[in-house]
Amino acid sequence: MDALALAYLGAGLGAGLVAIGTGLGIGRLAGPAMEGTARQPEATNDIRTTMIIAAALIEGVALFGLVISFILAFKS
Amino acid sequence: MRPVRRFTYLLFLTVFWPPMSVLAAEDGEFDAVHHTADAYYLDFLPIGKVELPRIFILRSESDGYGLRVFRSTKNALQSNELAAEFVINKDTTIYAPGDSLQALIDKGKHLDAKLIPISDQSAIILDLSMTKHLVFALLASGILLAIFVQLANRYKRGIGRTSAPRGLVQNLFETLVIFVRDDIAVPNLGKQHYQRFLPYLLTAFFFILTCNLLGLVPFGATATSNLNITAVLAAFTFVLTQTNGSKDHWRHVFWPPGMPVLVKILLIPTEIMGLFTKPIALAIRLFANLTAGHLVILSLIGMIFTFTNLFGEAVGYGVVPISLGFTLFVMCLEVLIAFIQAYIFTILSALFIGMAIAEHSHSEAH
Repeated sequence: MDALALAYLGAGLGAGLVAIGTGLGIGRLAGPAMEGTARQPEATNDIRTTMIIAAALIEGVALFGLVISFILAFKS
Repeated sequence: MRPVRRFTYLLFLTVFWPPMSVLAAEDGEFDAVHHTADAYYLDFLPIGKVELPRIFILRSESDGYGLRVFRSTKNALQSNELAAEFVINKDTTIYAPGDSLQALIDKGKHLDAKLIPISDQSAIILDLSMTKHLVFALLASGILLAIFVQLANRYKRGIGRTSAPRGLVQNLFETLVIFVRDDIAVPNLGKQHYQRFLPYLLTAFFFILTCNLLGLVPFGATATSNLNITAVLAAFTFVLTQTNGSKDHWRHVFWPPGMPVLVKILLIPTEIMGLFTKPIALAIRLFANLTAGHLVILSLIGMIFTFTNLFGEAVGYGVVPISLGFTLFVMCLEVLIAFIQAYIFTILSALFIGMAIAEHSHSEAH
């Protein structure tokens, strides 16, 4: 296998792994947030705000992975 | 029912736009990344392309540094000062002025070329050319100026302060401004400080929002899907965070309290890195979200062409409704993302600034 093929393979695998990690992370975040909202509907706004911030931070890590995948995929 | 119908019409116009520009891609070959990337022309396909001015600072042996302004890439190439260079798979092809260059211009490929000076003695010091994303960023600024100068004058006259806000535009923007103030600035910056930073947060929010939404308009381009523009926005946040940092903020960076000296020494580099990763993440998040959205739309449209090439035309036509349905869905998601990303950028900026300006007593545990 030449280097280019390996780079494409790495990019594809990386994007998939990033998706798994982010999915787990945001899932763990959103589930309890929903539970919290159901138990305490008056705190909905606060919970939503903190959830979005945390989700954005998790997503940020995922996007770093994605950018690396992009760099690998567009090597020529 | 009229507004609803008008909205549906607009929606259809937006959704059916990408296919047209894809159709214009030649030989069934279509590069989604190329379409989302920055370019030296405005795309009005299938009507045509409008080339943007090229501005260079050139250094040449004979007359030193000089500013060269060309009306278009075509003019720049025909000026006998610059040549077109292509690098494909590490093979460099240079089109110097002549018949081959003319053929290149006739095919319209010259717009993708990298421009290099013809003589070895001269060099391009700085490329200040107008690009698609720059045009749309300026357009967004212009739209915002047009709206907000007018609104500010209204509030100066008293409409909205002594009486209720009047008209659709004022009501809409007052809602958004109050949302930024009450849900973003006040909770993160505190009642004492929020007024100092509210102008920046409002500017960032509305600029990002307008840029995002301009990308969903037919013929539009998303300025925020350019890393340079998001990096500048993040740099503003970075500068505001550091220049307004309290004594506590700097002590946390350079001598974190409440831990053994050895741990402190280990922590200091991490803390210093943390200062920079926050704005970098801010820039990349905005850029990647907006780019990814457009890539997904174009990939879904590209599915039609992939299926046509693989299984023939009939299957290709069969895929059209599925592909367009998904595109419609992603387009709606994009409108949502346009708002969410503007919100996230603003709230994280507010959060970072708020963390830096906070002064707290150090009796509390960390």
